[in-house]
Amino acid sequence: MNTRTSIEKIREKAAAMRRDSIEMGYVAGSHGAHFGPALSSIEIVASLYFGVMNHNPQDPCMRERDRFVMSKGHACLSYYAALVEAGYLSREQMYTFKGDNSILPGHPSCHVEFGLEVATGSLGNGFAIACGMAMAAKIKNETHNVYCVLGDGECDEGLIWEAAMNAVKNKLDNLIAIVDRNSFQLAGKTTEIMDLDLAKIWQAFGWEVVIVEDGNDVASLLDALQAMQQSGSGKPHLIIAQTVKGKGISFMENNLGWHAAPINREQYEQAQSDLELV
Amino acid sequence: MGNLTLEKLQDWSKQGHRTAFGEAMVLLGQDNSNVYVVTADTTPTARLTNFLKTFPDRLFDVGIAEQNLIDFSAGLAKEGLMPFAVTLAAFAPMRCAEQMRSAIGYMNLNAKVVGIEAGVRFGPLGNTHFAMDDLAVARALPNFTVLSPSDPHQIYKALFAAAELDGPVYIRLTGAPGFPILYPDDFEFKIGQAIEYRSGTDVAIIATGAVLAQAIGAADLLQEKGLSVRVIDMHTIKPLDKAILDSVFAENRLVVTVEEHSAIGGLGSAVAEYKAGFAQAPRQLMVNLGDRFQKVGSYEFQLQENGLTEPAIARLVEENLA
Ligand SMILES: Cc1ncc(C[n+]2csc(CCOP(=O)(O)OP(=O)(O)O)c2C)c(N)n1
Repeated sequence: MNTRTSIEKIREKAAAMRRDSIEMGYVAGSHGAHFGPALSSIEIVASLYFGVMNHNPQDPCMRERDRFVMSKGHACLSYYAALVEAGYLSREQMYTFKGDNSILPGHPSCHVEFGLEVATGSLGNGFAIACGMAMAAKIKNETHNVYCVLGDGECDEGLIWEAAMNAVKNKLDNLIAIVDRNSFQLAGKTTEIMDLDLAKIWQAFGWEVVIVEDGNDVASLLDALQAMQQSGSGKPHLIIAQTVKGKGISFMENNLGWHAAPINREQYEQAQSDLELV
Repeated sequence: MGNLTLEKLQDWSKQGHRTAFGEAMVLLGQDNSNVYVVTADTTPTARLTNFLKTFPDRLFDVGIAEQNLIDFSAGLAKEGLMPFAVTLAAFAPMRCAEQMRSAIGYMNLNAKVVGIEAGVRFGPLGNTHFAMDDLAVARALPNFTVLSPSDPHQIYKALFAAAELDGPVYIRLTGAPGFPILYPDDFEFKIGQAIEYRSGTDVAIIATGAVLAQAIGAADLLQEKGLSVRVIDMHTIKPLDKAILDSVFAENRLVVTVEEHSAIGGLGSAVAEYKAGFAQAPRQLMVNLGDRFQKVGSYEFQLQENGLTEPAIARLVEENLA
């Protein structure tokens, strides 16, 4: 199913999303942007929007659409970029990022007509809301899936585990969560702040868990996502995608200083030339 | 001023309230060996890296877990340590209000909660990152003292005063980079005792937090027009300074409360609640963030949208004094 050409197409989308993310971050000027958290998640979001999810930019509110929830809302740049590349948001809208009166703040707000499904930014909540949305689909006998991206640091929140238990209890096998395992959070490496053996813990909570060794590789992500879609285990699904925070921009990769920061002209140009090499 | 120099204040003013807080905590930590800090993946955000370096054994990061931030701190306090639990005001008190009530408040523990970036300074980040309700929540918790300092110097004083007080305190911090020093010289800071920043007989502008600067600017504009303007720095929201309000209600023709907070439950509400018991008292106007989610935009945009600027406050007073 994943032909070379379809994978290649998603890679191109991912490359475009990286460029869009840098563009948006640059127009935000001194407000800065969460570059690192967005860049690690680009391939995850691109694989969902351009390889896996059933959705229609011409009909954003289509009832049977798969739902997407960016629970680590500070990574909104990769989400907004996907919506731009898919055609939900115009380029003009894209360039309003963080501007006065914009619908694109530094954490997503809810505008389903523009593909903005759930307002997030307060960590932990998006995932718990996604569980409720998956339950609603079950109750209404709807066959769409709910996809949710969360951060590895976000898994510190007790709410994540309250929701994880509830999802298992309700057999939410229409829920596929992807942890963007970039091994950093805000104040340091996850091993320093809160060292969690995520695969073991999620498994112990009753989730079906798959680890993607290179979570910035589209082909591996697609394999994992499709395996989850077809699993039939009756359990909610979790993919741990091992990614690189700041992926694709030389000076941002694994650099905590780029969790959130403004980018200056010189850095912007450097980022652009980094992206040409990809 | 002890180990606090004017150079330090100037630097804190330039960097914003987070630096003032983080650096003042180092001074407080030196002064009081029972002071501990607890963060929720917010050590650099709250400019506490220096505190961590200076006192590596006195800072705990519980991870991104605000409820645990409060209950863990409550446990420390229960056993005699004095924790300062710190995160964005968008998340504490709101995310952990129940823990603040049932653990810290109910048991009347000697724990302090600090909310940084209160108000709408994070304007471009969206409403999840605004704290428009923190005063309302904290005020509603019995046993809590609620502080809202106005400038770098007062942040320092408020932290030391909170450490002197044996009980629960919520400290709301505001002040963007460049927020002015309103108290360049040493001054007396007493919890529950507002500061009469300027005396005047026509209108009394009562402000809290860094927007006191806007209130003072508005007073300047009004004075140019011949009005006599009283400016009060209500740095303690609870307990409210009733003595100064008694004199305002007796002596001033108009009361204006100014705060970077929702219309509900903050300084304006506190003053109005007290005023409700007076048979005769002046009219009160409230400048605040209204009762709505805010648009996205820069801090300047947010202040403008909400009339929290010097000319807007002055205009409001003029229109209503006639
Ligand atoms: C409830 C809550 N607490 C704190 C924050 C502040 N915050 C924003 S991003 C972040 C770190 C997130 O780390 P992680 O989930 O690993 O995502 P990453 O940025 O590494 O992709 C924190 C603590 C928040 N947004 N929400």
